[in-house]
Amino acid sequence: MWAYAARRCVIGVVLLLTLTLVTFMLFFAAPVNQARLACGKICNEQQIAVTEKALGYDKPFYAQWGSFVRGVVEGRKYPLDPELRAAAPEIVTDCTAPCLGYSQFNAKTVNELLTEAAPVTISLAVLAVVIWLFFGVLLGIMSAITKGSIIDRGIVGLTLIAFAFPTFFIAVFFLKYVVVKWGLLAYPAYTPIAEGGVGAWFGNLFLPSFTLALVFLASYVRITRAFVLESLSEDYIRTARAKGLKGRTVLFKHGLRAALTPLVTMTGLDFAGLLGGAIITERVFAYPGLGSLTVDASNAWDLPTIIGVVLVAGAFVILMNIIVDIAYAFIDPRVRLG
Amino acid sequence: MGMNLKKAVAAGAAAALGMTLAACGGGDSDGPGGKSEATASKGGTLYYLQAFPFEAADPQRIYYGVQLANWRRVLYRGLVAFPMSEDPEVANTPVADLATDTGTASEGGKVWKFTLKDGVKWEDGSDVTCEDVQYGTSRVFANDVIIGGPNYTLSYIDVEDYPGPYKATAEQQAAFEDAVSCEGKTVTFRFNKPWADFPQAAAGMMMVDPYKEASDEGDKGKWNVLSNGPYKVEGGVWDKDKGATLVRNDQYDVKTDKPEELRLALPDVIEWQINNSDTAGELFNDRLIKNSGNDQYAITNARVSPPQFPKITGEVEKRYLNVLSPYNSYLVPNAKRITDVKVKKALAVSLNLNGYVKALGGERTAAPAETIVNPGVSGSQDNPAFAEDNNNDGDPAAAKALLAEAGVKTPYPIKLSYPKTPTADKAMAIIKEGWDAAGFKVTLDGLQDTYYDVAATPNKDSDVLWAGWGADWPSMSTVLPPLFDSRPNFSDATCGNDYGCYQSDAFEALVDESANASTVEDQVAKLQDADKVLGEEFAYMPLEITKFNWLFGSKVTGFTTTAASSAYPELGLIGVETK
Repeated sequence: MWAYAARRCVIGVVLLLTLTLVTFMLFFAAPVNQARLACGKICNEQQIAVTEKALGYDKPFYAQWGSFVRGVVEGRKYPLDPELRAAAPEIVTDCTAPCLGYSQFNAKTVNELLTEAAPVTISLAVLAVVIWLFFGVLLGIMSAITKGSIIDRGIVGLTLIAFAFPTFFIAVFFLKYVVVKWGLLAYPAYTPIAEGGVGAWFGNLFLPSFTLALVFLASYVRITRAFVLESLSEDYIRTARAKGLKGRTVLFKHGLRAALTPLVTMTGLDFAGLLGGAIITERVFAYPGLGSLTVDASNAWDLPTIIGVVLVAGAFVILMNIIVDIAYAFIDPRVRLG
Repeated sequence: MGMNLKKAVAAGAAAALGMTLAACGGGDSDGPGGKSEATASKGGTLYYLQAFPFEAADPQRIYYGVQLANWRRVLYRGLVAFPMSEDPEVANTPVADLATDTGTASEGGKVWKFTLKDGVKWEDGSDVTCEDVQYGTSRVFANDVIIGGPNYTLSYIDVEDYPGPYKATAEQQAAFEDAVSCEGKTVTFRFNKPWADFPQAAAGMMMVDPYKEASDEGDKGKWNVLSNGPYKVEGGVWDKDKGATLVRNDQYDVKTDKPEELRLALPDVIEWQINNSDTAGELFNDRLIKNSGNDQYAITNARVSPPQFPKITGEVEKRYLNVLSPYNSYLVPNAKRITDVKVKKALAVSLNLNGYVKALGGERTAAPAETIVNPGVSGSQDNPAFAEDNNNDGDPAAAKALLAEAGVKTPYPIKLSYPKTPTADKAMAIIKEGWDAAGFKVTLDGLQDTYYDVAATPNKDSDVLWAGWGADWPSMSTVLPPLFDSRPNFSDATCGNDYGCYQSDAFEALVDESANASTVEDQVAKLQDADKVLGEEFAYMPLEITKFNWLFGSKVTGFTTTAASSAYPELGLIGVETK
């Protein structure tokens, strides 16, 4: 299994490098003069050229990519101009390896930006996963074991409604009505545990996480229901029942276990996708996570930050894929890695 | 309305002395609106809700009008500053702030001297010195470190090849310090050409604001704030995405200031909260409409959106202001594709401005413009080419006659390019309708993020382009030359801000004369003539003056806007009822 994991890791690194290269290519293919945007509205060509050089955009994209990769391995110092660094050491930012770059737009290293934004997104994603998994699986099982009843139809109908609304709509609805108009909850603002304790962290996180969880919850209810129904119709379940096992034991020990495998895959991939940034939820609630960072960086044509977020999002997806594959082996003994 | 402001100032000044008086903060509202009837007093917490992040907290990099205007009142004092008056003439005339007077010009406006007041300190207790002004001015030259921000001084200060203070050689630094020199508390600026409106530039922008060299960290210090104003940022660092808490600066000495003219500094604390969600602006105004809890003590620089207008009734209307903003929009014909002035005039006379304004949201969102020069700019006057016998409904018959006179084949094809938004699509459709009726065949070309790059290119295939502009300081010198003088704008790759790639010797001669004027009055007169030339040649077609719609909480006092605040909330006058 270790050999398998190592092989997957090597492939993952190659994939990540390819991702960054493609992002560089796409960035410079856009018909926008990034240096002109950064320089401001009354800059002349000479000033724009100075800005372009300062941002490192004057070099071909492959040379910039080469510098980026070297920075990941060796670290980098900013500003890029060695003459400037030597003349004014007080303005130098030392970005140690693995250096993902320096964002002039934010005046911070990309590593710092990601370190600040990641806990926000991770908090949001973890709580959302807990909400949707708990309620999604629970309601899915209830729906499956009461198939055809009013409860089943009610759950399926409600989840269909929740599934039909986009996250943007749900988030704005909660803010406009639950927070502003009805005043049921305070306006959520991300509060780290270190600043406000677990209560403030959870209280502020609940509404955005619930928003994020709602759409996923709907699909998890329906999928759990389908998988449980499928596994309950298997021959071995009939055998288990024939052997006189209790209904609860049949359901949880035999039926649910088989249904769990595809759910684990889905959860892993959905969770990984969210870790790359729950863009809409973070934007509507103004949560300074990876999603917001991505949007701000894209609007400002802030290449170093864009690359950093792409890299982290890609890494999460690759990592979760590996974890899911390994988890298979534990959940379903028929699966062997090799 | 002027009386309202005077009352507000009087009340605030009295409150600053420990008294409590009734005050009214009207505002230069020219539409529906109300005034603050609350009691002004010193103290309390003002909540300032903002729906976008600033670009920087470094004075030499600040370029947003609202930030320049607001921070001048609370954090960064300048050599001179614009006073808090509802009379635009007064508000556009700088008064002394850090300096003892508004500057002494010599050599026909090429040399300006300012002497700093005694007793002005940074928040760390050190004196604000002449060398700080000199250093702050020098930083703008470091395009490779101080990226962004206004840089007009680069083309005026009489020094060549100066790379800024970070990597200048001793000779380069000495040359700069000759051009911007210090003698005791007196700083002297030597320019390579007259700069008649330099005090206005120094008041409106922060290009020549002091900066303490010992605290300079270059780009790393982009969000650091070292205040010399009545407040300081708690913790010293502005959070781009969250804002900051502003508390009293104990090193600020009100005796060095003119509170009644420049900043009353009424609240003890300003909680400046940023929420850069796309929906934040609308939600802020929903909260102000509801007016509960701390929102009663809140203001916002997020404009009320047209769908919220129906909610502004009754008590809410008393907490609402509708004012003209400093921003204008206009159309430019592409001079490379439309050369016949009669065709350009036909476009102008068939422009349905009333319909355009209605499509933008009606009279609360915009007013038809008769010139590109905003009414808040000194010397603004209607351009005769656009103001004559014009009811702003558009006159297709007159346009048809002009096209016939020009002898062009109709329908005359026009590609109209603009930055695409749902509102812009509706508004441009109105223009198309009027032009189509006049004998043109209009193709609408809404562009996304790439619009401004496409608009600047010399070889674009657009016939008419949309543009918007706000003066950097209330002088026509920051409107007409940056937009229509080909010399600083044109290069092989771009037409710069001159999207129509317009070039006129007559116009540029007048720009030169205005640039060489030694007094503001002469400068204004020349630029008024230059605007007439632009009108005669239909180098642009004015569209609208954008309007701002503001709401504020019921326990906010002195709420108003002025020309000095760029029509944003005038933070220097605003206070809150103390709880």
